[in-house]
Amino acid sequence: MKRFLTFAAVSLLFCLPSVALAEEVDPVKSWDNHFRLYAILVTAIWVLVTVLLIYFSLRYRRKKGQGDGASIHGNIFLEIVWTLVPFIIVVLLGVQTWAVFQEYRKVPKNAYELNVQGFMWGWNVTYPDGIKTTNELRVPVGTPVKVNLTSKDVLHAFYIPEYKVQEEAIPGRTTYFWFLPTKAGEYRAYCTEFCGAGHSLMLAEVHAMDKADFQAWVAKYKEAAAALSPVEKGKKLVDGLGCLGCHTITGEKSTGPTLKGIFGSSVVLSDGRKIIANEEYIEHSISEPKRDIVKGYSPIMPPYKLSDEDLHAITEYLKTLK
Amino acid sequence: MTQESAGRSGLKEWIFTTDHKKIAVMYLITSLVVFTLGLLLAIVMKAGQWSPGNSLVGPKLYNVLFTIHGAGMILWWMIPVFTGFFANLLVPLMIGARDVAFPRLNALSFWFFVGATVMAVLALVTPGRLDIGWTGYPPYSIKTDANTSLYVFAVHLLGASALASAVNFLTTIITMRAPGMTWGRLNLAVWGIFGAFIIQLFGIPVIAGAVTLLLFDKYLGTNFYNATMGGSPILYQHLFWFYAHPAVYVIALPAFGIVSEIVSTFSRKKIFGYTSMVIALMAIAFLGFDVWIHHLFTKGVEDWARIVQSLLTLLIAVPTGIKVFNWLATMHKGSIDFKAPMLYAVGFITLFVIGGVTGIGNGLLAIDIDVHDTLWVVAHFHTVLSMSMTMVAFAGIFFWFPKFTGRMYNERLAKITFWIILIGSLLAFVPYFKLGLEGMPRRYWSYPPEFTSTYRVTVIGGFILIAGFFMTLINIVRSAFAGERATANPWNAKSLEWTIPSPPPSYNFETIPVITAGPYEYGSPEEGKKALPEEAEAF
Repeated sequence: MKRFLTFAAVSLLFCLPSVALAEEVDPVKSWDNHFRLYAILVTAIWVLVTVLLIYFSLRYRRKKGQGDGASIHGNIFLEIVWTLVPFIIVVLLGVQTWAVFQEYRKVPKNAYELNVQGFMWGWNVTYPDGIKTTNELRVPVGTPVKVNLTSKDVLHAFYIPEYKVQEEAIPGRTTYFWFLPTKAGEYRAYCTEFCGAGHSLMLAEVHAMDKADFQAWVAKYKEAAAALSPVEKGKKLVDGLGCLGCHTITGEKSTGPTLKGIFGSSVVLSDGRKIIANEEYIEHSISEPKRDIVKGYSPIMPPYKLSDEDLHAITEYLKTLK
Repeated sequence: MTQESAGRSGLKEWIFTTDHKKIAVMYLITSLVVFTLGLLLAIVMKAGQWSPGNSLVGPKLYNVLFTIHGAGMILWWMIPVFTGFFANLLVPLMIGARDVAFPRLNALSFWFFVGATVMAVLALVTPGRLDIGWTGYPPYSIKTDANTSLYVFAVHLLGASALASAVNFLTTIITMRAPGMTWGRLNLAVWGIFGAFIIQLFGIPVIAGAVTLLLFDKYLGTNFYNATMGGSPILYQHLFWFYAHPAVYVIALPAFGIVSEIVSTFSRKKIFGYTSMVIALMAIAFLGFDVWIHHLFTKGVEDWARIVQSLLTLLIAVPTGIKVFNWLATMHKGSIDFKAPMLYAVGFITLFVIGGVTGIGNGLLAIDIDVHDTLWVVAHFHTVLSMSMTMVAFAGIFFWFPKFTGRMYNERLAKITFWIILIGSLLAFVPYFKLGLEGMPRRYWSYPPEFTSTYRVTVIGGFILIAGFFMTLINIVRSAFAGERATANPWNAKSLEWTIPSPPPSYNFETIPVITAGPYEYGSPEEGKKALPEEAEAF
């Protein structure tokens, strides 16, 4: 008992500072430590119960002519022991799980950000440079990766067993998770929220690439993009970022206002102000959509962090939609 | 089934009966029918997983199969066998009453349950077969062509049935105890049923509302769960699990009580720590309502809410642990007779600890971020429900078999099937823990080829398990008609239900008994003096 308490105290001290002191946080490592402690403790409990169960079953099996068992109704001391010891074990595990969970939620500042959108049945991935892939996630080894997750239709969940992380893709909302690719390789990602007939096939590949390979891959994409005029680039961004899921370019109302003829038009906002949609309005409507909501629409558009160059390209493209 | 009318009683007598014992038997028959159906569906699902991408089942049929299997096994087998069959059979007999407080309401509860069963079967065979999972999460359950309304109405009927039962049995237990039957002399089975019905009373209105909103969203164009119109699909999950998690304890609390009855009777010892057993039961019933978010640990819920409910989930391990150690201590220095019910009870304890500690894994927030919605979870709840709780159901059915049928079951067959079920369960579900940790998600019709050999172990285990279950069903049905005649008290037990004939007359007690002692008065006093359990201190 005493030994156990010492062990518990040491483990507790061990797991807390490791969060603060670690140079590079990797939730997978903390997860492994956490799971090991959990597995050891609960296996010990199961073995204890089962050994006692088998021992009592053999030792106290009724012999011929034997009457009743001993007259014992309880024992306060023992009952306190098997109330307190499990309590200490779960508090210990609970504190550790709390610490590890915080690692999962605190995204490092230098994280590389990706947007992932689930749909029936696949995954659209958008990179900061406007690159778009489907069912394929390319990430650089050694850089933390933050994934902003949403869904186009029903609930999905994005799960990468290699990085021991998953989060729900919810329509109309953005959730997030992050991970640290530590080794180059190809890993599987699954959908873990039941979403219909294609659920079992809703897989994606995670390519963790060495930094140089990754940069080469990005450069190849950028090269192709650089050859485009601002209007062409803007069109590509609008198509690729999924803007058309909520905004039409044909003049019809959808979840959001139409983009047709929006540039230079006069817009009535939900607080009654009337403004002209100029360059500045278009740009902050993309980066801070909740600032000025058009009257009659819900404030549900997530903010998009784009470079000034990309914002300019989109504005140039919108100017052509007359 | 009174003695003079047994075997001759007409159909009419059963349909219009308000006798709690007859209603109990009808609950048992109905839930065993659905249990059998659930097993048949499981056979097809398992067969289709022999190899990845096997076309025997295919994704669309698979989705229907796991929906009906899950809904059937939870809502029509596990919950009704404990709150329908055992509650009806045991409560009046154990508290010394002639029937429940409202016998006709009790019959109505049962017939609502039958109506719900018919709807569930219709949902399986009519067009627009249900493919929404027993959880029915929107927006998928709204978008699919499946006939969600049939499921919603079935849940409504089940809810009405269970609410009426809850009011009925809580009233019965509170007001109809025989003179001298104090709260401290109640059987733990009655305490467990009491806790279960408190959960039903507070939880069912919430799930009934949740599925009603689903119905409105789907057919009336409301937007409670529609994100694009300001609703929230996650709201449904909160409301659903607010009942559906405590529902696990609706199953577990009576099961814990039944195990206590069996362990005490066959060890011929007082139940160890009666008071802490009661406190533990009630603590679980209370805590059960504060942990539903552990079903939403990866659903974008506020971080602080996830942490609080993770810690509360872990706390449930404490009262549960108390129960396990008290059962062990009851066996200590006992005089244990391994009749089939005791064998099942002991098997339950070791399997249940596997289910319980893997539940701690799910409850640990950080671990759950990895194992959530993988086969680990499937392994966990099948260990708890399919292995542990179903074992208790069989233990209880065999234990009280002489009482409610007046006949004995086949002891040898029951013992053989115990070992078949034990081996089958371990093979069928333990490999799922491994697959889950390796990242295999649940509700997948197909799987990556590298998992084939592990899947095949579970398929073989599943078939062994199902064979064991069918042997048990055969034992129950055959013995009910052709078993040896039972005496009033074949186990020489001390609880009240064994003081009256088997099967009991329709009025149960000729005169209402006056209770002067508890139900577990076993033990020779001279042995008790020198008996202080030392072994357990090694912990």
